[in-house]
Amino acid sequence: MQQPKRWARLKNWETLMFIILCVVVVGNLRLSEHYLDLNNLANIFHLSIEKSLVVLIMAFVIINGEIDLSVASVMGLAATVLAERYEAGWPIAAGFAMALVVGLVCGLLNGLFAAYMGIPSLIVTLAGSIGYRGVARILLEDNSVGDFPNWFTSLGQDGLIGPFPATIFVFLALFILGFVILQYSVFGRYVYAIGNNRAAAEYAGINAKQVKLTIFMASGLIAALAGAFYAARLGNVRANAAEGFELDIITIVLLGGVSIFGGTGTMIGVGLSLLVVLNLRNGMSLSNVDGNTQTSVIGILLILSVLVPNLFQLLQRLLPRVFSTISGFTNKGGAPEPKSQVSIHQ
Amino acid sequence: MTADPFLEIRNVSKQFGATKALESVSLTLYPGEVHALLGENGAGKSTLIKIMTGIYQPDSGEILLQGRPISLHNSAQAQNHGIAAIYQEPLVFPDLNIAENIFISHQRRNPMVRWGKLYRDAEKVLAQLGVALDVRALARGLPLAAQQTVEIAKAISMDVRVLIMDEPTASLSIHEVKHLFGLVRNLRKAGVAILFISHRLDEVFEIADRVTVFRDGQFISTAPVAEVTPERAIQDMVGREIGDIFVKEPSPRGDVVLSVKDLSREPRFRNINFELHAGEVLGLAGLVGAGRTDVALALFGIAPAQNGHITYLGKEVRLHSPKQATQMGIVYVPEDRRQHGLVLPMSLTANISLPSVKNYRNQVGMVQHDKEQTTAEHYRQQLTIRTSSLSMPAGKLSGGNQQKVVLSKWLNTNPRLLILDEPTRGIDVGAKQEVHRLINNLAQQGMAILMISSDLPEVLAMSDRILVMREGQQMGIFERHEATQETIMAAAIGQTLERAANE
Amino acid sequence: MNKIRRWVPLQRLREFSLVIILIIVVLIFGNQIDNYYTPRTFNRISSTVALITLVAVGQTLVVLTRNVDLSVGSVVGFTAYYVGRYVSKNEDISPVMLAALAMSIGAGMGLINGLLVAYGRIPAIVVTLGTMAIYRGVLVEYSDSKSVATRQLPDWIKELPQESILKYGEYELRALPAIALVAAIIFFFLLLYTSFGRRLYAIGSSPEAANLAGIRAPRMVTLAFTLCGAMAGLGGMLYLARFGTITVDAARGMELQVVAAVVVGGVNILGGSGTVLGAMLGAILIGTIEQSLIRMNINEFWKDALLGLCIIIAVSVDRILINQLTPWWSRTELQRMPEEHHAAA
Repeated sequence: MQQPKRWARLKNWETLMFIILCVVVVGNLRLSEHYLDLNNLANIFHLSIEKSLVVLIMAFVIINGEIDLSVASVMGLAATVLAERYEAGWPIAAGFAMALVVGLVCGLLNGLFAAYMGIPSLIVTLAGSIGYRGVARILLEDNSVGDFPNWFTSLGQDGLIGPFPATIFVFLALFILGFVILQYSVFGRYVYAIGNNRAAAEYAGINAKQVKLTIFMASGLIAALAGAFYAARLGNVRANAAEGFELDIITIVLLGGVSIFGGTGTMIGVGLSLLVVLNLRNGMSLSNVDGNTQTSVIGILLILSVLVPNLFQLLQRLLPRVFSTISGFTNKGGAPEPKSQVSIHQ
Repeated sequence: MTADPFLEIRNVSKQFGATKALESVSLTLYPGEVHALLGENGAGKSTLIKIMTGIYQPDSGEILLQGRPISLHNSAQAQNHGIAAIYQEPLVFPDLNIAENIFISHQRRNPMVRWGKLYRDAEKVLAQLGVALDVRALARGLPLAAQQTVEIAKAISMDVRVLIMDEPTASLSIHEVKHLFGLVRNLRKAGVAILFISHRLDEVFEIADRVTVFRDGQFISTAPVAEVTPERAIQDMVGREIGDIFVKEPSPRGDVVLSVKDLSREPRFRNINFELHAGEVLGLAGLVGAGRTDVALALFGIAPAQNGHITYLGKEVRLHSPKQATQMGIVYVPEDRRQHGLVLPMSLTANISLPSVKNYRNQVGMVQHDKEQTTAEHYRQQLTIRTSSLSMPAGKLSGGNQQKVVLSKWLNTNPRLLILDEPTRGIDVGAKQEVHRLINNLAQQGMAILMISSDLPEVLAMSDRILVMREGQQMGIFERHEATQETIMAAAIGQTLERAANE
Repeated sequence: MNKIRRWVPLQRLREFSLVIILIIVVLIFGNQIDNYYTPRTFNRISSTVALITLVAVGQTLVVLTRNVDLSVGSVVGFTAYYVGRYVSKNEDISPVMLAALAMSIGAGMGLINGLLVAYGRIPAIVVTLGTMAIYRGVLVEYSDSKSVATRQLPDWIKELPQESILKYGEYELRALPAIALVAAIIFFFLLLYTSFGRRLYAIGSSPEAANLAGIRAPRMVTLAFTLCGAMAGLGGMLYLARFGTITVDAARGMELQVVAAVVVGGVNILGGSGTVLGAMLGAILIGTIEQSLIRMNINEFWKDALLGLCIIIAVSVDRILINQLTPWWSRTELQRMPEEHHAAA
């Protein structure tokens, strides 16, 4: 691990996220009187429900010290499999199940290469993201498949309670499940321990490979579920479905206070960051900001979220030195250099 | 020795948080001398090195180079002044070849690399040292001794005036040490000032001109080597007579817990044979690099043995993972607590319960924090872990308390066989004695204990029997009453066998 | 054998095996596709490979320092658009000036990445994930979602891809591959013969040792990112020349192909080892497979699936073989040491 976990020092990441959320909400309120409409509130979640689902599992992946760039392709592949099987005459439920199985297999492959062969997950899932998308292209070529049965599309489109469709409740259920598993279960404890210090976790008798494989498989499964929901919401599927979603997903997780090096972050932080991003996007949409520009605002937010704490540290470290140079004395009480610079022995 | 000192450290202090690493220490280095710096772990030697090489800046005090005060802000500046350091674990660039490794710091001067000249110059520097290495070979995979040679060559190529050697011999074989000393003498002849840090007194007396002792961050003494005796040096280092170490009480020897036959994992160790009984402490002595930790790792399933038989509780077993070993009641307290023993950012409680956290689940599989807390509290009292809060990250504790946390986490799994690797390294005297008492009590309760230690008084005081290893081989098992520091050390360095092997 | 081991670094061996694989791939395709060994095939493949090679060469510098630049696709897209717009308004600008403009824009964007990574101490993946979105957003804002069309461009730029620099029979070395080749050669020598290049290897190989050796890593890393950006900027101009029509989606997703080429070319994603030659070979291998599949009549949609497979196989084989080979390859040196001891004693 090259960088110390600065995020850990900012103890109240959640508080910070909450404040930002309040600012965004207030801004949105002033921006548009339609913001609080029930339909708009439903829309905030509804239009990004697939990404939100995958964010949940991505938090596990990154806290565990890995990354999964292939989720968007798995989403696309799952949607494609579902559509292709439906077109081949299968009942949609069977296609749905098949899509989930395919997602699981993708996750299994990622996990085997990353955890058991020891290839960096960045590379494995980069290959996966190209390869799984490729399989989707083989299946659908450049066709578009639609005309799903009504019950299926209404699952993704129509309100179950008020304007909120069923998928939102699936998300809520999974959020609570994810929260409980990560924060309160044995498995969650293992995830943090491995993400912080894999060697120590293994020396404590934890099978890190198995935990990593499980997480990658879960990632494939959830991504496939999200892909199927995407098909249901849009009502038709092309091979490029969900392309580029991985960036938004990873950004939300990192913004939620999860360190890219693993080991830190909470489900609450990720949930808050999800709310911030979705509301920010909604506010910008309400004021007709282009989607790409929205993404770049979130990119700025992502960089600032790491840069600001770092700058404070840098100032802390530099100021005594500047002071000492001026007064001609060697510095007194300067903060010790960060560990990254002095990881010689001891 | 010329009259003018080359480098002077004057009243330098350095503090990290609440701990004073150095308190107004002074040290003078003359050109052409080998100056030994002695001190126990935590005496402040490493901090001083880092100050001399510009990695740390002192809080107060000054550094004089040929009488002029200098300030060092990074290692490049130190190098420009001719100050270089060689560490116990050499820091080479594994992906660069040997020639580049030697001249890496020269590149600031010329922007282009002339490979032919680089190779020739590298060979020249190595020839100066009386060694030949293939300068085109990558540094990856070079043995430690060769890596150190590269580091020394690097220092020489920079016209080093002050060479700091931090325990350079800790991982070297006798042959290699001899060779290294040859190099050191050559450097001394060339007028280099050498600060030589070692724990091995015999080496210090062989090579040093003057000896300085630090204790607890303070300067204790400096004297020419002729005026120093080993006894006095040790007294200065520890500040007390040897002999107040806790001695294990006799414990009833129970059934055989572990029996190891012809255990081998090339090239680390081969043909290891021993039996370990319940209630017994088997000491595992030898120099660093003798393969002791590798035996422990094989028994804990991390690096399984290739050949041989392990019989545990009467059944032959194959140990292939720490998970399996832990479930069978074999646990290992590693040498490197921070890397392998603890998850530093996690709380004490979570660290203590980590291997056994499954036992704290309720019906729906959630971890019951209150029960974990009770366990942690239990061990805090039993092992006197000094901490203000159990939810504090383990990384914030002192070494001794960290070690107690590691011990707690394993004791909580009810092990039958406890493997300890350097259990008291880097912890203070008080905690050391507490750990010794704990080992004693565990043995009384019938636990089988395998204790690796480089601390000879500790091995002698705490073991019922002592197995000595040297370069991967078992040199013999000594009963407690027949073992002395001399017999153990002789076996560890293989003095009697050495001559036969050489012929 | 020992002589070979002594004089041929492992890296050369790796590149050599890539060449072998490339030959095998070409032979297989030649066997499957009629009229495969024609100048047309060569020209088509070389034009495709040129763009990826150019950007991959810059990316290599960054990856060597244990970082990664995911923003290259956006940089290529933005410069392609900006340069296209600029040249459509200033038709008389010289090609060299235009290239310089493209490179400086790219360098500026790379510099921002580098400063944030090296001095802001933000992990490269986070920075470039962010700037990838930001630069794309800048493109959208700047272009107001309009595109550059081929007809707006001066003739010389439209004809650049057909321009042939060298000719051997009907085999041509056209301008785009020639530019990429020159860039690759320059960077090959930069990495091999300048201390800047060697220091990049040192930083990636062991950051701690680099710090102790007094190497100013932040400065080097910033420079690597800047050069990577400059190459992506030049890539943007070539992208404009090749495709003519530039939308806000130009070169989206290119970063994946580029990183794939670098990795297949044997550049260690964890830094410290790999060469520009390898990255170029990786790009050629990927480009050849991609373009040949299009010629094969079975199904051109297989291309991405095979590319993914290709990456994972390359990396796995590399990991297994090189891990097994490295100790053996350098064993000769280990044995010389003790011999020397006896001689010295």
